[in-house]
Formats: sequence, structure tokens, C-alpha cells
Amino acid sequence: MSEFDAIVVGAGPAGSSSAIKLASSGLNVLLVERADPPGSKNVSGGILWGNELAQIIPDWEKNAPLERYVLSKGTGLLTEDSLISIDFRSKKFEKNKTGYSVLRAKFDQFLANKAKASGATLVTGVTVDRVAVKDKKIIGVEQDGDVITSDVVILAEGANPRVAIDSGLRKPIGDRDVAIGIKEVIRLPEATINERFNLRGSQGYAGEYVLGFLPGGVKAGGFLYTNKDTISIGAVVNSADLRANNSTYSYNIMEQFVTHPFIAPYIEGGKVEEYSAHLVCEGGIRSVPKLSGDGYMIAGDSASLSFSNGLVIQGMNYAITSGIAAAETAIAAKSRNNYSADSLKSYDEKLASKYVLEDMKTFKGIEGVTWSNLMHKAVPKMAENIFFDLFYETGQPKRHLYEILLESTAGSGMTKSQLILEAYRAARRM
Amino acid sequence: MVLWHGPTPRVAMESSTSSGDIVALKMIVMMKQVPDAEEIFIDPVKYTLNRSQARGIINPSDENALEAALKIKEKEGGDITVISMGPPQAESAIIECMGRGADRGILITDRVFAAADTYATSLTLAAAVKKIGDFDIIFAGESTTDSGTGHVGPGVAEFLGIDQVTYTVDSRIESGMLTAERELEDGIEVVSTKPPVLVTVLINSNLPRRSRLRLKVDAIRKGVEKWDHDTLSLPVDWVGLKGSPTLVGALKIPEERKRESRPVKLEEIPALVDELVKKGIIKIGDDA
Amino acid sequence: MQIEEKLSLLNYKTDKGYEHITVKPDICAVCPDHFCTFACPASCYTLIEGKLNFKYEDCVECGTCFFACSHGSVAWSNPKGGHGVKYKFG
Repeated sequence: MSEFDAIVVGAGPAGSSSAIKLASSGLNVLLVERADPPGSKNVSGGILWGNELAQIIPDWEKNAPLERYVLSKGTGLLTEDSLISIDFRSKKFEKNKTGYSVLRAKFDQFLANKAKASGATLVTGVTVDRVAVKDKKIIGVEQDGDVITSDVVILAEGANPRVAIDSGLRKPIGDRDVAIGIKEVIRLPEATINERFNLRGSQGYAGEYVLGFLPGGVKAGGFLYTNKDTISIGAVVNSADLRANNSTYSYNIMEQFVTHPFIAPYIEGGKVEEYSAHLVCEGGIRSVPKLSGDGYMIAGDSASLSFSNGLVIQGMNYAITSGIAAAETAIAAKSRNNYSADSLKSYDEKLASKYVLEDMKTFKGIEGVTWSNLMHKAVPKMAENIFFDLFYETGQPKRHLYEILLESTAGSGMTKSQLILEAYRAARRM
Repeated sequence: MVLWHGPTPRVAMESSTSSGDIVALKMIVMMKQVPDAEEIFIDPVKYTLNRSQARGIINPSDENALEAALKIKEKEGGDITVISMGPPQAESAIIECMGRGADRGILITDRVFAAADTYATSLTLAAAVKKIGDFDIIFAGESTTDSGTGHVGPGVAEFLGIDQVTYTVDSRIESGMLTAERELEDGIEVVSTKPPVLVTVLINSNLPRRSRLRLKVDAIRKGVEKWDHDTLSLPVDWVGLKGSPTLVGALKIPEERKRESRPVKLEEIPALVDELVKKGIIKIGDDA
Repeated sequence: MQIEEKLSLLNYKTDKGYEHITVKPDICAVCPDHFCTFACPASCYTLIEGKLNFKYEDCVECGTCFFACSHGSVAWSNPKGGHGVKYKFG
């Protein structure tokens, strides 16, 4: 007889969502979080997309600590001299809110408190050492020599899943699985933010940028999200390229982004409130480990469940969806009184039927495109050349766009055949 | 003014060293949840302390007080009750203490206790100790990071009419006596006294242990007892703001004194030293 | 803004009794790349007169160094007992 029906390791969006679902379905659940208070070790890339929380917290849009809803979605290419950007804003986003900016110290604490209010036993400030194993079956967790037993363990530890790695449930994280996320939170008056981004009330801006100006093969993306009276701004640095380069400091890339002549004005006069860093799952479906086995399931970033195609980074909604799916699986397993690998296999099936694994499979190999030379080196440079040619009055007769395009490929740093090949690959995967 | 006389001295120590009944050592730890000093900042406009962003932590020297008690418990056995006065949120700090090995947690919480000064706080805590009943040693942090008076520990001892040993860095039980090391300006003073006694513990005097999952789960199941002024049979005008003789007149940030510096040449030093001596800033001893 | 200044904004509850990350000086002494010094976003790894210097106190627990080091020098674990970095915003 186990002490708990389920133990959930990690009170982030995946773990707390799981615990809320489990506890509100009457299961006896222990939620363990190493941070005290919950959320104080978590960092978000910024936007919570989708409406997954409604499944477990129907009034979440009213009561969760949300910063702003995304009215305006920006996508930009930055070169040393230029910014080429699209700002898509729509009245449709006012009616059907697609995403919210959140600050995780507050947001995750809200979720953890919800789990507690739903009846979960919430323990904070304790780091689980590993899962407890008996007869090759996971029977609970181990901490400081004590074993706390449960019928099922749900690992939701985030992007650096120590318990899963140290217990041999997933391979250690490598260059191809993650990128290095670095962020600053900058305080500015609400009115100033509204003015600078052309927003009103709780409208918000979410921007993703390709940092096409970085020297020597290094690739990174930038992001900028408006909160109520702060701005979250940061860079996501590809670790494999940084390693190959081996002369660029990750934190300097962040600094180069925030001091870029066309980014700096957004945050001018603001006070840096916080600096943070966190891994970002970028490996796509290839990084996803075995999701379940005898007595355990892995959810959220711990299972590399996230999606990025360069235009959006989605992680929190995948975390919530997978957390709920794990909970549903555990609830069904309890009713069958069977927590074997076979019984928990339905977790994998659930994820496959939801958009999480579906999207990741559809966009298999997308990480190769988002981190390609084409996206980071050729496209920004070409775009700059094209627009400069189009808009710069030379006093000469105008040329056809096609001619400009052809010419601009010359300045892209890639051969024409390379370009065509990479463009073909990208088109297939996007 | 002694409002309460302390409980009759217990015979726990003596009987545990001689034959006869072994009575478990009873310890109380007084703990306060304070705003994290790292997260308090001075409002650049109003010059007031802004605590709105500060989250609650266990007052640092109270962690050392708990650790001192836990060390004695490890060696001598016995049990530890943690008491704290504060808002309902302080419960998590008590759970943390129980997660480290305290056996029982009591939160003294009541709106009428709000805005108590150190006098009213000491009185309220002493009443709680009285209600707990028999005890041998009370441990308290030397002072809190959010007010820094160092009054409350000694105040409780006075209200209870028991001995106190302040500014300790180490304590142990030796043949029925509490032996503690007090850190004073010019050295360590070793004091032995017979319980019941109140001990205040200096910050950083030991390395507080970490809480354990097993103990925290048990603590949550056991729960934290909540006592209000009714439980303590305290008249409302003895506690909180009404029971507080101290009034805060004003809060001022001292002007930062301008300091100047300049590089000096080696041969200038004797003249500068002479000047400092003349101004009475430094003194040169006979053996210099 | 310098990285040191950014890190000074953070609230850490440092565990004086446990270093959650340790490095093996023998390995670092002969390391050909010292990629950790470029990868770590909190500048915990620095070269002082050619010798690797590591301090766990500034660590923000991202896990970068664990995979950045390809020479097996970095032993990584989470801080215990609620110690380590304490973000206010996240």
C-alpha cells in the first residue's frame, strides 16, 4: 500500500496542472517543489499560448496573475544596420485571446496554490534526490535516505530534469536538445510601454527576432514581451554554434540584442529589475524521451515537450496539456489498479492524440530550419538588401524585384545552390 | 514588572542523570517570519521602506536558534515546540521548522495582535509559553532582521521570571545544566545555568540544517495549531497596538556622510598619524 | 551593463554547507577549450591567469555547464533545501 496515489516532482505549469487535476479528482497527491516559494526558480520565455488551463481552472483568465494579452505579434530580422519586421495585430485577438505574457514567480505560485487548494499536499523547499525503485518498478521518490511511496510518479522538473537524468529515465541533455535562454526584466511605467508599442490597457506585444548580426557562425533568437509595467527581453542562444565558435560569451549576445539601435529605444530609461537564465527545449521530437514506464510518466520540459518554429516558442501550454494528460492517465490507472508500463502507455497515446506530439511530429526536423544558416545568415541579409534597394532612391531607373532578389543572394554569404537546397528543406518542414 | 511567574523548575535534567524517571527535555523555539531583507528596498522618492515585493523567510538568527535546539535534541532527546506570532502566512515557516525536526508548531495569530511593539509581543509570547506549560529551554534568535531590537527574547524571559543567556554561539547540556558560550566583544564567556532558561542565539553561529521531505509531509499532516487571544486568555488591551507603549515617531534615512580620500606619500604618514592623535581619533598605546 | 552588475540584482540563498556543482581541477587544467567560460550565462566559470576558477554562489541553476563541458569535469546537482537563486519575476 503506497502512502500517496501519485507524487508529482516539480510545481511548474506541468506539475501543478497535473496535481490540480489529480487532487480535484479525489486522488491523494504529493506535489514536491525544490523552490521556496514555488516559481522562484522558474523563468519563462514569456507567452502562455492557448486556453489549456480552462480544463482545470475554468476562471483562470480572471484570476491568474496574467500580465497582458497578445494583441500584437511581431516577427523581425535584425542585421547590424537594419530591422525588417512584421507586426501582426488583429481585433480578432481581442475577442479570442491567443496568448498572455506571464511572469513565472507569480504565475507558478498561483498554480501551486491552486493545487494545494484542490487538496494536494504541497511541499516546497525540498529537492528530491531520485526516484525510488523496487523490482525494476518505480515505487516513489527518495530524499535524504527516506523513501516516500506512491503508485505513480510524475516527473515535471523542467528543462534540466535532474531526477529523470540521475534515475536513468532519460538521456542527459545535450547541445541538440536545448538552447541557452537569457533574459532581463526591465521596469518601465505602464503608460510608457503603451506608448512605445502602440498599445492600450491590457493589450500586449510579443516579438521574436532573428539576430542576424552575430559574428562567426553564432546563432541566436531574440524575444521581447510586454508585461504590465515591465518588459521581458532576452536571447535564446544555440549551444552547438556557440561551442563551435568558442570565443563569444552567451551573456554578451543578450547584451548585443538589447543594445541594438532598433531595440534599445524600446527599453530606454527602464530599470533592470532582474537577470535570469534558463534552458529552452529546442530539440523537437528527436529529444523526446520514453514518456512512461512502470510507475512513472514524464511531462512538460522534462520530456522536451515544446515547440519552436522561429515565429513562436511554445512550452507552457505543452507543459499544461501533458501534465493534465499524465493526471488523466494516473486516474484511469487507479480505477484499473494497474500502474504498469502497459497501463500507463495510454499517456503516450493521449499526447499523440492531442496537438502536442502531433505538432512535434508534423514539424519533425523544424529545429534544423529554425537554426539554419539560411534563417540566421542569408535571409536577414537578403531581406535587408532587397528593401534597401527598393526604398533607396538612387536617381537611377527602377529595377524589377526579381533582379534585386537575384543580386541580393550574392551578398548572403551562401552559394545559390546552397540557398536553393536550404530553402527547399525549409519549405518542406515549415 | 513580572506579570507571570515562570513554571516551577522542572526536574528533568536531574532525574535523567540520576536514576528514576527520565523526563524528556522540553524545548521551545520562538521564530518569526520576516520579509526577506534582500527584497526590501528604499523608495527613491518617499524614502520609506518598500516591503511590497519582499517575500517571507524565517528570521535568520531564528534558524540558528532552531538549529541549536535540534542539536541538543539529537544528543539528549526530548521534543521541540516552535511558536511564532504573525499573520496566517507564517504557517509555511513553521512547517519548514517542523520539516527540520521540530515536533510541534503553534502559530499565535489574531488581528488584535497586529502592530504590537516588542513589549506587547514579549507579553503575548510569554503567555503562549505559559499555556504550553512545562519547559526546560526556550531558544530565540538574538534579534530580527526587520526590527533589530533584540528585545523580544529577553522580554519573554522577564515576563516568565526565568534566567536568560544572551548572544550565544553554542549551547549544550552538561550534568543537568545548560552550558552556553556567549560571544562578547572581548572574547567568549562560558555560562552554566539551571533550566528553565531562555537562550538567545546569534546569527551565523551554526549551519542550519535543511528540511526533509519525510518530516515535511508529516508536519503538513499534523498541522500547525492556531492560537488567538482567546486561547491565551489575554485581554485585548494588553496586546497589539493597544498594549504597546512604544510609538514610532518618524522614520529617517541618515544622510550619507561625504568621505574624501587622496593618495598620500609614504613620508607624509607620520604627520598624518600625529594629526589623528591630536584630534583624538586614534590613540597610541604604551606598547606601541 | 556588465554581467557582474546584473548578477548583483539577484537574491540568492547560498547554502554554505553544500556546493551543488563541482568541477575536477585536474581535468580543467588540461582543458583545450574552456567552453564553460563562454557558455555559462552567470559567468561562474572564469579564467584567472589561465587557470579555471569556478564559483557556485552566482549560479542561476540553468544547467548549461552540465552539457557545455564535454570533458566530464562538471558534476551537477540541484541545490537542496530551497537554497540557491530566488527569482522575483521569472
